[in-house]
Amino acid sequence: MTAETAGVARVAVQKGRAGAIGDVVFRGLAFFFALLVLIILGGVMVSLVAGSWPALRTFGFFSFIITEAWNPVTDEFGALAPIYGTLITSAIAMLVGIPVAFGIAVFITEICPIRLKRPLATMIELLAAIPSIIYGIWGLFVFAPFVQQYIQPAIINTLGQIPGIGMLFAGPPLGIGVLTAGFILAIMVLPFISSIMRDVFETVPAILKESAYGLGATRGEVIRRVVLPYTRVGVIGGIMLGLGRALGETMAVTFVIGNAHRISASILQPGTTISASLANEFTEAVGRLYQSSLIALGLILFIITFIVLSIAKILLLRLEQQAGG
Amino acid sequence: MMSRASVATMPPMPPAASEPESARTAKVLIRNVEFYYDKFKALKNINLTLRDKRVTAFIGPSGCGKSTLLRVLNRIYELYPGQRATGEVLVDGENILAPGRDLNLLRAKIGMVFQKPTPFPMSIHDNVAFGIRLYEKLPQSELDDRIESALRRAALWDEVKDKLKQSGLGLSGGQQQRLCIARAVAVQPEILLLDEPASALDPISTQRIEELIAELKSDYCIAIVTHNMQQAARSSDYTAFMYLGELVEFDETERIFTHPKERRTEDYITGRFG
Amino acid sequence: MDVYARRRFANAMVMAFSVVATGFGLLWLVLVLWTLISEGISAITPALFSQMTPPPGNSGGLLNAIAGSVIMTLIATLIGTPTGVLAGTFLAEYSHRSRFGEVIRFINDILLSAPSIIVGLFVYEIMVVPMGHFSAWAGSVALAIIVIPVVVRTTEDMLRLVPNSLREAASALGSPRWKVIVMVSYRAAIQGMLTGVMLAIARIAGETAPLLFTALNNQFWSRDLNAPMANLPVVIFQFAMSPYADWQVLAWGGALLITITVLCLNIGARLIASWSTFK
Repeated sequence: MTAETAGVARVAVQKGRAGAIGDVVFRGLAFFFALLVLIILGGVMVSLVAGSWPALRTFGFFSFIITEAWNPVTDEFGALAPIYGTLITSAIAMLVGIPVAFGIAVFITEICPIRLKRPLATMIELLAAIPSIIYGIWGLFVFAPFVQQYIQPAIINTLGQIPGIGMLFAGPPLGIGVLTAGFILAIMVLPFISSIMRDVFETVPAILKESAYGLGATRGEVIRRVVLPYTRVGVIGGIMLGLGRALGETMAVTFVIGNAHRISASILQPGTTISASLANEFTEAVGRLYQSSLIALGLILFIITFIVLSIAKILLLRLEQQAGG
Repeated sequence: MMSRASVATMPPMPPAASEPESARTAKVLIRNVEFYYDKFKALKNINLTLRDKRVTAFIGPSGCGKSTLLRVLNRIYELYPGQRATGEVLVDGENILAPGRDLNLLRAKIGMVFQKPTPFPMSIHDNVAFGIRLYEKLPQSELDDRIESALRRAALWDEVKDKLKQSGLGLSGGQQQRLCIARAVAVQPEILLLDEPASALDPISTQRIEELIAELKSDYCIAIVTHNMQQAARSSDYTAFMYLGELVEFDETERIFTHPKERRTEDYITGRFG
Repeated sequence: MDVYARRRFANAMVMAFSVVATGFGLLWLVLVLWTLISEGISAITPALFSQMTPPPGNSGGLLNAIAGSVIMTLIATLIGTPTGVLAGTFLAEYSHRSRFGEVIRFINDILLSAPSIIVGLFVYEIMVVPMGHFSAWAGSVALAIIVIPVVVRTTEDMLRLVPNSLREAASALGSPRWKVIVMVSYRAAIQGMLTGVMLAIARIAGETAPLLFTALNNQFWSRDLNAPMANLPVVIFQFAMSPYADWQVLAWGGALLITITVLCLNIGARLIASWSTFK
């Protein structure tokens, strides 16, 4: 080996060793930051539990959940009203949002002319891009007054008159309230659900649909009998994802829910949700028990959304496997 | 479909160099190599020799293990867990399958060109420089010279000399493959592994690649996997016929195609299967 | 009605419903945007960008809020992007089908859709409480925690799209693993990764809840990252809920600003994604 080739070989070995060190460092960094994701979630759980401990210890977890009273003055706190509000607004959001999302997904995948597909899908996705605070102020200044003037009186005079379920629609028309909040939530989550439904509908093999059409099935029948059963798991996963978003939504709800810590039979009345309570009261909360009760609310919300989102994820994973993904 | 007669009338290989064949340096000795994809044994007891400055072709039906064997030679399979090789591969006397070998340095000495052209998403200049920059520190002028000579060897220089800064992705399929060849020879490897380099290309590009291989032969030990038997017969000095993971026959190309010793070899060559 | 007519009727109903549903969805989009523009346009004056948030009853602008939002969004992006990219790289390049990788991916997707107010609560506990005060740092960290899962997801998805043959070609030249990733995989996936970052920025540009308990708000101009910092979303929240007309007008102006920014970022992201792939 001449001196020159020896020099070249040395550079090569040096660079080789540097490369090996680079590999270790880089992999370590990547691993560390991946671990960080885990740590963040763990940190959230731990800090929520730690913060809510005083309240939970004072009231007892179970009794905290079923108590409606919320009185900062006497230091009595119960989570029932916010939990109820969270669940009912999300339920309304799902009731309105799921059919609409389904209709949109059907339209875009089956009916709409190909040239319109992309722009239409983009526009629906823009609904999801609009920040929730925009929905909030729009709800407060535009939608709620409209509801108060036209919708709620109409409901009260029709559905509210029916004995029995009339209770659900009773009360003075305030504009703001559980129904309004639920409706705005529906508008906010329907693009998510619709987009997942769309993706899922597109995975149905064309052959399957074609054989149904070949037997003379109508479009609606193909959707009902072929597409839906095939994509059932994914559709439910998408719905759960939308539910998870609805449960945690804060700003839009805060503006129009009315912030009343009580449960009313009527959905036209104001109420509160966990996130709205937090948004409105946390920075003003004086007193350890008050603050801790609010954090306990946060813990409950976290647990609920964690469960819902986990189910959604598991379902969507199962769909991927089914589609051979 | 080729009959034995038609193969026999093909133009013979150019005469060997003046040295006797047996003294030609054995560059790569493959001994008792076996390969596993998890539990599946894809290569069984492979033994053969690759000679320096000669082209060895690997032929056989799909799935016979020829690409797998090629990938053993530069240990590219190590990228995937569950794939492993046993046995010995001696390159210039050293066993490259031994544990503890620096794989990256090894691969710098063994070049590989793949079936599908794989230009990197960067300029033509950077594509060819990529390998060089990994292990050498060259002044700019020397680097440019190396790049030019590599592109010339790959018969691509005239077509790209004015657009070295343009992305490699903008070239045609045949040009991209020649770019990959330039990239591989730029690092001055000792061995070149070509895995069906022309199978994704049109006939004209294929012909140019074959001409290239004939030229490159004088400097490298070349192993080429090919589906195209005429190509193997035309371009190679030695041919290995593989079937279902076994090395069925290995001999000088002329003898394999005119007087194959094994029945299976003859069947394959004459087109009875595969 | 005979069976066939009934079936056709049912089909027509389904089709009609989906048209109505789509119209319904688009209707709200138009309504919201229309209101936003008509109410907010009057607030878009030079004063908006040159004056600070005023006390009630006075005129003013949103300069400190805009600046604060820009600063915190920038810091959050600077913190969250490398974190997300490296974590996503780990998932795509180093953890094929490993249990650990699956867990990380699962957790990441949960964080992606988790309520942002919980993130705010978390950062309050780990930063505001120990520090003893609200701060722009805390706000930025809260926003970064929202950025990370988005970037992780898009990075992993984009890297997975890079064909293995490219990686093999680089490895075959003797390249160490990290160079294969940085110089080949990243370059191949850069468009998609950039799109992901832009979408993440679009997401945090409008987020209010995480800032409520971290950066809080600030009436004045502040460059102190260690103190509460004004930001558009919280200002909008405060002004809109107030009974003061001037404040409400400013709130609409701020809302319009945010929406324009978010929409531009979204459209920009789509443009990058559809930019000619090879060239």
